[in-house]
Amino acid sequence: MKPTRDPRVTLDDLVEVLLNKGAVLHLDLIVSVADIPLIGVSLRAAIAGMETMLEYGMLRRWDEDTRAWAERSTGHRDLEPRAGERHIVHMRGGHLLEDGFQTTWRPGTVHLTDRRLVVMRREPREVLWETELAAVRTVRPETERSVGGEQRTRLRVVLADGREALLSCTEPERLRALLASTCPGPLETSPADPERQDGEAGDGGPAVLEGHLWYHEPRRDGPLWRGGQGRLTPEALVWKSPLDARPALVLPSDDITAVRTEPGRSPAGGGRVITVETASQGPVTLTADEPGRWAGALDSLRTAVPLPSA
Amino acid sequence: MTGPALYVYAVVPDRPGAADGVTGIDGRPLRLPAAPGTGLAALVHDAEPAPYQGTDEDVRRRVAEQDRAVVAVWERTGALLPMTFNVLVAPDPSPQDPRTAEERLRDWLTSRAAGLRSRLEALEGRAELRVEITVDRAESTRDDERARALEAEMASRSPGLRRLLARQLEQLRRESSERLADVLHADVRRRLLAVAEDLRERSRGVRDPGEADVLSAALLVRTEDIEAVGTVLAAVQGEQPAARIRFLGPWPPYTFADLPDGPRDPAAPEQEHAPERG
Repeated sequence: MKPTRDPRVTLDDLVEVLLNKGAVLHLDLIVSVADIPLIGVSLRAAIAGMETMLEYGMLRRWDEDTRAWAERSTGHRDLEPRAGERHIVHMRGGHLLEDGFQTTWRPGTVHLTDRRLVVMRREPREVLWETELAAVRTVRPETERSVGGEQRTRLRVVLADGREALLSCTEPERLRALLASTCPGPLETSPADPERQDGEAGDGGPAVLEGHLWYHEPRRDGPLWRGGQGRLTPEALVWKSPLDARPALVLPSDDITAVRTEPGRSPAGGGRVITVETASQGPVTLTADEPGRWAGALDSLRTAVPLPSA
Repeated sequence: MTGPALYVYAVVPDRPGAADGVTGIDGRPLRLPAAPGTGLAALVHDAEPAPYQGTDEDVRRRVAEQDRAVVAVWERTGALLPMTFNVLVAPDPSPQDPRTAEERLRDWLTSRAAGLRSRLEALEGRAELRVEITVDRAESTRDDERARALEAEMASRSPGLRRLLARQLEQLRRESSERLADVLHADVRRRLLAVAEDLRERSRGVRDPGEADVLSAALLVRTEDIEAVGTVLAAVQGEQPAARIRFLGPWPPYTFADLPDGPRDPAAPEQEHAPERG
């Protein structure tokens, strides 16, 4: 196959790349109109990109000014932040109060920061429920039928000490994904919807473990550590970077022949990496804040007796 | 007035004559003002200090003209850092220290020479290729028994039931093509990264509902490896008949021209080039 340079085929792509890419000179050299430097549409793209990076926790190493600007540009908040705490997302939602006497939904706003998950009511101001993210072990979508007969997905949150809470929110799937990328440890999740009959949910079925995972992506000039989201289901381990459109790694569980942790230079800082031996592409190197939990889950997947197919 | 502005096409290694006979946007003659002692020059034309504006058609024509000029010089120099559209350097009219646009551009090249040179070296003999892969949703379920059974059933049913079955078929095709696209993406990305030096994914604007996007990426490739990328893509096409592949280039490294280290060159401290004023 040969690449084409025929302008009849490539002009749209050239317009796109020349308006969005290419180097930009040091900004104050450029002619500006009404103080806006003329860098085409790239400034708008930069703001949109910032929102994504905030959500994925990729702004961790950015300088304070950039972060403050991006946070100002991406929405208000009414949660009192602690010193250095970063807002990630807020959405309408509520907390189910179950105190033995009553079971009541208390509406409010669900706030996710880089440290806490908080359900707050503004008037009168009250923290309805909160947890440190470090304590979150499981986030499980649960579906129930509302009085009106429609299905609603709630999030069951289980903490390290066994306490549980049921939360509602306008975008449960988004909150679940953001929790998985923000919590320091990997999260256990499970069936999104026990009532759903179509077992082929397109996303590989229920996750058994999900969270931030580093992938040592092989490259021509040597492998590169990339941060992203790992999602382990009974069928496969899938790893995706927020910069890519789709997963860069899909390891079917029957392709995995061995799993071990070993000493190695890890971008997560723990000094241990996970090596997954595969039949089709040889060893694959991963790491995480808690490599042991991932390695254990991967290994149990490999050794699990295959279920008879339904 | 301190003279005209400069419309900048690219930063290039200083090779006098590399732009001879090449014209730019609207047929403007191109120049290569150099920053003495740095080995660097810029590909420019003299311009009014105002950006190009106009209809979409005008923008498309000028982008094509800019690309033609950059490609012509790139083929002679083997490396350049292409600018985005509408990069203009204006003269500095400050009364204490008026500078022409050319002086400002030269100062900028000099202050960032080390970073620019190392970026140019990294791009020497490399080209950008563009790869777009989609899978045809109907084609990707051709061998799926459930899809075939649905298709067969549709033929013998009432129009109302046919509509219902058509929706089921569409859902099945969507799920199956999404799964195929995920696996194919991981596979193609890994094979391309064994050949390309860098790969950056881009979001694709235009979508055909009958297709699932698999990969849309810009690749930085040594010119001698362009053929190897073609071989990988031909193999993917052979293995996966549902794949639709577009393969564009070779282009100057538009996507890989981002300058290192933010706005200033740490190797060239600001004070060396900005003497006390006043």
